[in-house]
Amino acid sequence: MAKLIAIKGSKDGLRLQLDEQAAWEEVLEALRAQISQGASFFNGAQLVVDIGERALAEDQLAALLELMHQHGVRPESLASTARESRSSARAAGLATRPLARAPESEDRSEAAFAWRTVRSGQVIRHHGHVTVLGDVNAGGEIIAGGNVLVWGRLRGTVHAGALGDRTAVICALELAPMQLRIADLIARAPEGGAGRFPEVAFVENDQIGVEPWETYRK
Amino acid sequence: MSRVITITSGKGGVGKTTTTANLGTALAMQGAKVAVVDADIGLRNLDVVMGLENRIVYDLVDVIEGRCRLRQALIKDKHFPDLCLLPAAQTRDKDAVSKDDMIALANQLRTEFDYVLFDSPAGIESGFRNAIAGADEVVIVTTPEVSAVRDADRIIGLCEAFEKGHPRLILNRLKPRMVSRGEMMSVEDVLQILAIDLLGVVPDDETIVTATNRGEVAVLDRGSLAGRAFIDIGRRVGGEQVPFMVLEEQTGMINRFFGMFGRRPRGSER
Repeated sequence: MAKLIAIKGSKDGLRLQLDEQAAWEEVLEALRAQISQGASFFNGAQLVVDIGERALAEDQLAALLELMHQHGVRPESLASTARESRSSARAAGLATRPLARAPESEDRSEAAFAWRTVRSGQVIRHHGHVTVLGDVNAGGEIIAGGNVLVWGRLRGTVHAGALGDRTAVICALELAPMQLRIADLIARAPEGGAGRFPEVAFVENDQIGVEPWETYRK
Repeated sequence: MSRVITITSGKGGVGKTTTTANLGTALAMQGAKVAVVDADIGLRNLDVVMGLENRIVYDLVDVIEGRCRLRQALIKDKHFPDLCLLPAAQTRDKDAVSKDDMIALANQLRTEFDYVLFDSPAGIESGFRNAIAGADEVVIVTTPEVSAVRDADRIIGLCEAFEKGHPRLILNRLKPRMVSRGEMMSVEDVLQILAIDLLGVVPDDETIVTATNRGEVAVLDRGSLAGRAFIDIGRRVGGEQVPFMVLEEQTGMINRFFGMFGRRPRGSER
């Protein structure tokens, strides 16, 4: 099945790209499947729905918005070259935006890379993998569709595989998070503090497990 | 080159106002012309801490709204004529001023003073944002407690976002005995989390309470350890390299007695 849904990150937030050609019902179905697995990924993000050249009538747009609202996702705007789509958007109370330009030079192979300490109150949200060269302080958040690697102390909240991927892992030089999430599973750090060695968190038997890197790699 | 420094923290009650009053006085003791501004509109405290509350005629909001000239609102300190206080308004609130007002005020004060210190309110909303608007430098005050450090971290992140880069840290109310028992975060623990340059460490000291109640600042009390720490901080702000005080538990009477007879008092080293 060709990918009907694509999620891209950009400086302004998230962009949900929906296929321009396929039958609208199929697109909605694909979105329903995607969003039911990882709606929390979108929480708090500025979301643009990008439908390219597709012309959407008001009722079609309403069906889309209804689907998203059911999962607590509220898009902020719609991007389209079709005039009909833009007026449907305005009727629904959405802002309209221009289409994305050609991929910005920022778009580095699907992995977000942060070379700094993520401080309390700061969020890194990315549809792919996230690597942090630095600490993630308590109160800081990483929300990634892919894996999360922290080359430093992980003390904040991390959600890997946030779009519904239970094979995602979280690695840190010092794994001492407030909360760990992989896909739909949540875990707190065990009492007793972190080890002073690199550890990996992963899903096994429907639960999140943590192992030292040396053990996990075998 | 005048310097505008905002003292902030995130958490309330960690010692911003005490720091502003003591640091301002320490800088005046070095011979500088210093203005301290209370930017906590509605909950003004700087005047109380400096013992100047019954000399207030006009305040910061009066200046901004044009009811008086800046000169009329500035209050000379009791001890140092080159140290002036611009008090906050007590009957208004934060919405009375804007960021642009504060930037203009900072620039006006810059022309007359070597140092302008802004005492920020607690929090992260408009009071804080207004207080840092005109600043060249930011000093973050925290105590060695988890919640204060968490809030300080948030504030540092916001300072970076507002491009008031490289804030420096004052760790206030440290209790060396608790640290050595492992019951309180150490300087290293705090720096490990906040990862900014350390400007100074101030020990927990009862003389701060007594000084505040009398409307005097601790730097003028020779017996105050906290006062000495603030004087060192003042020298560092002035550009001097001052080694950090070794803060050990104060030896009590009994220990000094033993010390006279050549035995090592409990708790001291070397």
